[in-house]
Amino acid sequence: MRQAVREKLARMSNDEQILLRPLVETSRSFYVVAALLAAITLWGMFAYYVQVTYGLGRTGLNRPSYWGIYIICFVFFIGISHAGTLISAILRVSKAEWRRSITRSAELITVLVIGFGAIQPITDLGRPDRVLNVIFHAQLSSPLLWDVTSIGLYFISCTIYLYIPMLPDLAIIRDSGIKAPRLYRFLAAGYRDTPAQRARLERVIGVLSIIVIPIAVSVHTVIGWIFAMTLRPMWHSTIFGPYFVMGAIYSGIAAILVAMVVLRRAFGLQQYFKDIHFDYLGRLLLLFSLLWFYFTFAEYLTAFYGGEPGEMRAFWSKLTGPFAIPFWTMVLGCFVIPLSLMSRRSMRTPRGTLIAGIAVMIGMWLERFNIVVPTSVNPRWEIESIGQYLPSWVELSIMAATFSGFTLLYMLATKFVPIVSIWEIKEGREHSVREVADRVAEYLPESA
Amino acid sequence: MARWGMVIDLDRCTGCAACEVACKSENNVAAVSADQADMGRASSWMKVMAHVEGEFPDTTMHFYPRPCMHCDNPPCIRVCPVQATYIDDEGIVGQIYARCIGCRYCANACPYMVKYFNWYGPEWSESERQHLNPDVSVRPTGVIEKCTFCHHRLQKAREDARADGRELREEDYQPACADVCPTNAIAFGDLDNPSHAVHSLKADPRVLRLMEDLGTQPKVYYLRPRE
Amino acid sequence: MSPSRREFLWTMGAAAATVALKGAQDVFWESDESLDVGWVPGIEERRNSACLICPSRCGISGRLVDGRLVRINGNPLHPLSRGGLCPRGVAGVQMLYHPERLAGPMLRAGPRGGGQWETVTREHAISRVADRLGELRAAGRPETLALLAGYNAGTIQDIWRQFLHSFGSPNYVADEYEDGTDAVMALMHGIDRRPSYDLDRARLVLSFGAPMFESWWSPLQAFVAFASPGDEAESGPRFVQIDTRFSRTASRAHEWVGVRPGTHAVLALGIAYVLIRDELFDADFVARHVSGFEDFVDAQGQPREGYRSLVMRNYRTEEVSAITGVPVARITSLARAFAAVRPSVAVCGTDVTFAPNGLLAGLAVHSINVLMGSINRPGGVLFPEDTPIRPLATPVLDETARAGVGREPIGAGGSTFASGDPALRFAEAVAGAQAPVEALLLYYANPIASSAQPEVWREALEKIPFVVSFSPFLDETTRYADVILPDLLPYERWQDAPTPFSYPYPVWGLAQPLVEPRQGAWHTGDVVLALAQSLGGNVAESLPYESFEGLLKERARGLFAVRRGMTLGGEFERTHHRQMEERGWWLPEHAEFEPFWEELVERGGWTDQFYDHTDPYRLARTDSGRIELMPAALFNALAEQGSALRPYLDVATPTAEGSREFGLRLIPYRVSTLASGTLSLERWLAEQPGIFPDVLWHPWVEVAPETAHTLGFSDDTLVWVVSPQGRYRARLKVFPGTAPETVCAPYGLRQPDGQPANPLQLLDGSNDPLTGLPSWSSTFVRLERV
Ligand SMILES: Nc1nc2c(c(=O)[nH]1)N[C@H]1C(S)=C(S)[C@@H](COP(=O)(O)OP(=O)(O)OC[C@H]3O[C@@H](n4cnc5c(=O)[nH]c(N)nc54)[C@H](O)[C@@H]3O)O[C@H]1N2
Ligand SMILES: Nc1nc2c(c(=O)[nH]1)N[C@H]1C(S)=C(S)[C@@H](COP(=O)(O)OP(=O)(O)OC[C@H]3O[C@@H](n4cnc5c(=O)[nH]c(N)nc54)[C@H](O)[C@@H]3O)O[C@H]1N2
Ligand code: SF4
Ligand code: SF4
Ligand code: SF4
Ligand code: SF4
Ligand code: SF4
Ligand SMILES: [Mo]
Repeated sequence: MRQAVREKLARMSNDEQILLRPLVETSRSFYVVAALLAAITLWGMFAYYVQVTYGLGRTGLNRPSYWGIYIICFVFFIGISHAGTLISAILRVSKAEWRRSITRSAELITVLVIGFGAIQPITDLGRPDRVLNVIFHAQLSSPLLWDVTSIGLYFISCTIYLYIPMLPDLAIIRDSGIKAPRLYRFLAAGYRDTPAQRARLERVIGVLSIIVIPIAVSVHTVIGWIFAMTLRPMWHSTIFGPYFVMGAIYSGIAAILVAMVVLRRAFGLQQYFKDIHFDYLGRLLLLFSLLWFYFTFAEYLTAFYGGEPGEMRAFWSKLTGPFAIPFWTMVLGCFVIPLSLMSRRSMRTPRGTLIAGIAVMIGMWLERFNIVVPTSVNPRWEIESIGQYLPSWVELSIMAATFSGFTLLYMLATKFVPIVSIWEIKEGREHSVREVADRVAEYLPESA
Repeated sequence: MARWGMVIDLDRCTGCAACEVACKSENNVAAVSADQADMGRASSWMKVMAHVEGEFPDTTMHFYPRPCMHCDNPPCIRVCPVQATYIDDEGIVGQIYARCIGCRYCANACPYMVKYFNWYGPEWSESERQHLNPDVSVRPTGVIEKCTFCHHRLQKAREDARADGRELREEDYQPACADVCPTNAIAFGDLDNPSHAVHSLKADPRVLRLMEDLGTQPKVYYLRPRE
Repeated sequence: MSPSRREFLWTMGAAAATVALKGAQDVFWESDESLDVGWVPGIEERRNSACLICPSRCGISGRLVDGRLVRINGNPLHPLSRGGLCPRGVAGVQMLYHPERLAGPMLRAGPRGGGQWETVTREHAISRVADRLGELRAAGRPETLALLAGYNAGTIQDIWRQFLHSFGSPNYVADEYEDGTDAVMALMHGIDRRPSYDLDRARLVLSFGAPMFESWWSPLQAFVAFASPGDEAESGPRFVQIDTRFSRTASRAHEWVGVRPGTHAVLALGIAYVLIRDELFDADFVARHVSGFEDFVDAQGQPREGYRSLVMRNYRTEEVSAITGVPVARITSLARAFAAVRPSVAVCGTDVTFAPNGLLAGLAVHSINVLMGSINRPGGVLFPEDTPIRPLATPVLDETARAGVGREPIGAGGSTFASGDPALRFAEAVAGAQAPVEALLLYYANPIASSAQPEVWREALEKIPFVVSFSPFLDETTRYADVILPDLLPYERWQDAPTPFSYPYPVWGLAQPLVEPRQGAWHTGDVVLALAQSLGGNVAESLPYESFEGLLKERARGLFAVRRGMTLGGEFERTHHRQMEERGWWLPEHAEFEPFWEELVERGGWTDQFYDHTDPYRLARTDSGRIELMPAALFNALAEQGSALRPYLDVATPTAEGSREFGLRLIPYRVSTLASGTLSLERWLAEQPGIFPDVLWHPWVEVAPETAHTLGFSDDTLVWVVSPQGRYRARLKVFPGTAPETVCAPYGLRQPDGQPANPLQLLDGSNDPLTGLPSWSSTFVRLERV
């Protein structure tokens, strides 16, 4: 770090010093990891080039498994995107004060992950060159079009929702002059943190966090509906909308937890991501693991009771058939592990939540797999033979590149914006403590 | 307005698969290599499916030639984001190859699994191209295709009838599969026209439609085997 | 944040994306569009011809666009196929335009089988062959020339035979697989010819192991009969399939009677028992036309038991039931139906005759036709006249030729009543250096792929210094050739297409060129004529024809001359004609030959739908003039051979059991879509070989679920099918219709890399000593995981 910058930093408040340091200070290991991730991403891009050149035949897809890894990742990533915006919006709206240090990192996940999620179905297209037909020849009755609309809207609103609350921090960086003055002048867009501006900002954030919630809910609902609107066994289900939303939030929380543990280690943010945060998020995880069980149980029990031959073929292929391993691993990851860990106070620590978070992420990826693949390979007509699906190296490379690309961009982002909202922390210190006390007092009966 | 449909007599069908090959020949459906076939990437707009029941020696086997059902309420159409699959006034469900983006949503939505995807571009050697039927476009890579009730034949038949100044007759428009069937198991015609064979056949007590309970209203009827 | 800036960026981004995508499209998908180039509506034409792929020789109608053969449809005027086709016929376009067709005449350049070839002109190639053959003649060894012919019908067969005959070689080797029914007819009726079955008019068809919907002589004949209502409109002929294998035919016949392997004939005699016991048989017919029914005294003065006593004594339904596994009630009801639903006919298939007692079994099966008088009657077994085409010129033989043809044909002899597998015997003789063959012509034959003993053929080919192949493809045997003169494909050439023996009315179908013949290829018929001309002398005199086309026209003059029959016509025309001829009205429609010929060409052939059911000559040509249930020739032959076999008693295949090592009975069968080597080249057929929608391209074998279970195999396990004779790789399919402890193995399939996977090469080589025909029921195999 250059001397000048160091001096500038030294003059700033404690919060600012800690939170802005990553913007100007980069470790060796950062470069190593980034290079590795970049290599994987490039490899994935090469795989896509191969796919485009030769055709979708280079994947493991076939008839009847028309959909595979790409669609699984699509659902998974868009699910993760519920991490941020939805959670931070809910927490904001419900005035959960402990949110202050985690919203930024969550919102950042959201925006990046929507992008990576949204390219999945395009990767999946047989004719990506014609993707704009979705606009030119749009057919509104197609759930895919609902998706395009909903995800588009979601992406835009999330980007705004990430950007607006970032303005005061961008202004701080601009004013501190520690980094790329012209860029931050541009980004901060003339925000000076005047009381009027601040008031307007808070109002806008308030409105946005309300708008964002239904959009987020709609996004994963319509993704669920992509499947539910077909007549395929174990897809054609009314529960899919809410089931997908619940799952999305669940995987989102898990993603935040994992991100927080990593950030905390990497940037020494122990003061910001405190045990209480892990405790609270761990409780949320616990709640969702129960919800997940409830939904999954309801879903499978309904299918089982119907006993329809087509449904049963898919049903048993998951419970006891060729998909038993992914199925029961999913149950382990989404239910058994998080439940048993998070129900114990002693495990709602960074380490415990990390384990649970990873388990849930894997479990939720498998849930998507268990939705897409078993139904695909089990046609409704019983005299049709059962298909098989083995992803090819192209699909696996592209999937790896998606994960690495996302992580890479996330890492890069930490070099440009403070990963914990400085002004919100400050605001919390300056106003909220009192405000909360007042608020709580308000709840209580007047003392006689 | 005609409503084209098909009635397949399962008692007559011997499973010879002439219809299957005739359809490929008529509609330029390319064969794929052995490895591709192993992966489940062969296309047969018409596929003769065997239904086996019971164990030796009390086995029965019937053959269900399966084209697209040309559903009156086709679930495949609504889901297409780009209107690349449509149902026309006469009930024929078609594909617009030049518009399809290859998302395969329709393929997943079709409960009959009769949509086929071009995983690669079709492989026709220079010499094989000579037997391509010029009335049917060759599908490029990355799009969905399926049985069209040979609607190019309808167009031709219409033009011919118009040129001769007469009405379209039942025999003027017969798809390739019905044409070739050596046991006349496939009847084709206007379901609403009392002078067409399918009109009365579809009222036969043996009639059965695949997965009728789904509400797709298929226009391909089967005559269930007599006991 | 400035909205205008955002807007700007967004617009720019979208524009850039569009440009990029458009660019990508041009780079990556450009090739698709090029397929559409030249798609201008062309000149369309339909022309009738004949399918020459299998002995059925159905009528086809080619759809031509700008001279390209785009579709093969059925010819509705053809009386046998009536507009229907089987998948092989439809896929013919893929054979015609196959990328691996040979481009033109070639001479071997490197060592034998080395795969190096030199392309030459036709003239060069033909003079090479003519020179070589000329040398053989000049050296006085014309008999060292041999022809292996896989297509043995019509005029092409006639001129090949004439060529060899006038050349001086007795070695016309028919690579033909007999089914033994001709021997049965020869013995009982004195008519040495395969029987015809009037399936169209039969109301009950009892098929003893003939896979009528899969291969047989004409699957189309069976299909048409199956589909058309019989004379009484309401009920079509009922097909009853008596078969060991739950085949496609068995599944689709109206009834399937599963019998234990090799016991078909026992069931037939069980039916005979009921017919006699309940006096349901046609006693009048038997009394008037049949001998050997009652006990009799033979030429040597020995009293012998007649058919009636033999059957009554030995085939009580209970015993038959115990042997065949068919319940008594079923036997009785089959017999009753066979007697009650007239006309009825029993068809005898290779299941019956390809067995150690095949000939006797064949006699037993046919005997129930005799009992019911289903001979020479509508809906029964018929013996039609040959098509009255004009014969070839009388062959002229010189000294050399006469000496040559006087010699014993190589591999001749065979068995008493049939020639078994003459091609294999030929190969064995050559391989064993018992007979010198200096030149071998291969016409439509690929023994290295199709013979049960390819090594023998390989050895034989090593010993033959000069091999000429006329195959349009570089098949396994053609790779050993020295000269290749590729034939035209059926859609490019003139050829007559007579219907197979199983069809009861003479049909002279005509294949005509639908498309311009491929440059470089040459009609083998014309090659034969050209060879004869270059050889000159008596050979040229024996084949004095300009072209094969001219010859066919010449032969059609015979059809014109009889002033009967008709060029092919629709249902109505056919019926009308038949009725007129039945009343004795023979009305030729053409006064001149030329218009007759033109119409014949246009309609795709000639037929005569009249059959004289009153002609006694079509019932029996034996010395006694009666149908012999106890053929003297058979008894004599058995006595001569000192054979202990007894007609009507030894009709079942001796029960064999698998050994511990080879415990599964092998049942090879022919898949309907494939069989011949050329067909597997057609990719559409390779995609639809059998009933398993997920087995494309690969050879497979079928076993019963419990068998698979005990072996520890599951569906799709890759296995070796092993017999003491050899092994091949196949995919295991679990099929509930397969009998336990058997392995049903389709033949005609190839591995995806083109290697044949031929279960016939696993057979143990045992045969019926009377006919020499192979036994297919006696080989046992085991399955090993690959
Ligand atoms: N694997 C297997 N083996 C079999 C059989 C089987 O079905 N499968 N069947 C058995 C039976 S019953 C028989 S009859 C034999 C038949 O066996 P083959 O007599 O060997 O007959 P194919 O294999 O049909 O064809 C032989 C060759 O004829 C050539 N050919 C094709 N079309 C033409 C043409 O238009 N003109 C000329 N000149 N040549 C042509 C092809 O190159 C082909 O390789 O095989 C026996 N063995
Ligand atoms: N599809 C098709 N049809 C053809 C041909 C073709 O290549 N393809 N070729 C033509 C030619 S060249 C010929 S020679 C004829 C032959 O026609 P067929 O003589 O009818 O011969 P395959 O079809 O081989 O039928 C043999 C039958 O015997 C049965 N079989 C085999 N082994 C056993 C056994 O051990 N025990 C019993 N009980 N049954 C057994 C099989 O299941 C099969 O049903 O077909 C002609 N028709
Ligand atoms: S062509 Fe006719 S008989 Fe053959 S499989 Fe098709 S419908 Fe059945
Ligand atoms: S069968 Fe399938 S593809 Fe055909 S119309 Fe119905 S839903 Fe669509
Ligand atoms: S694959 Fe093509 S036709 Fe099918 S839904 Fe997608 S765009 Fe429409
Ligand atoms: S109607 Fe035409 S396109 Fe459809 S299966 Fe039959 S031949 Fe094929
Ligand atoms: S049965 Fe034989 S002749 Fe008839 S179409 Fe099929 S292959 Fe050709
Ligand atoms: Mo044969």
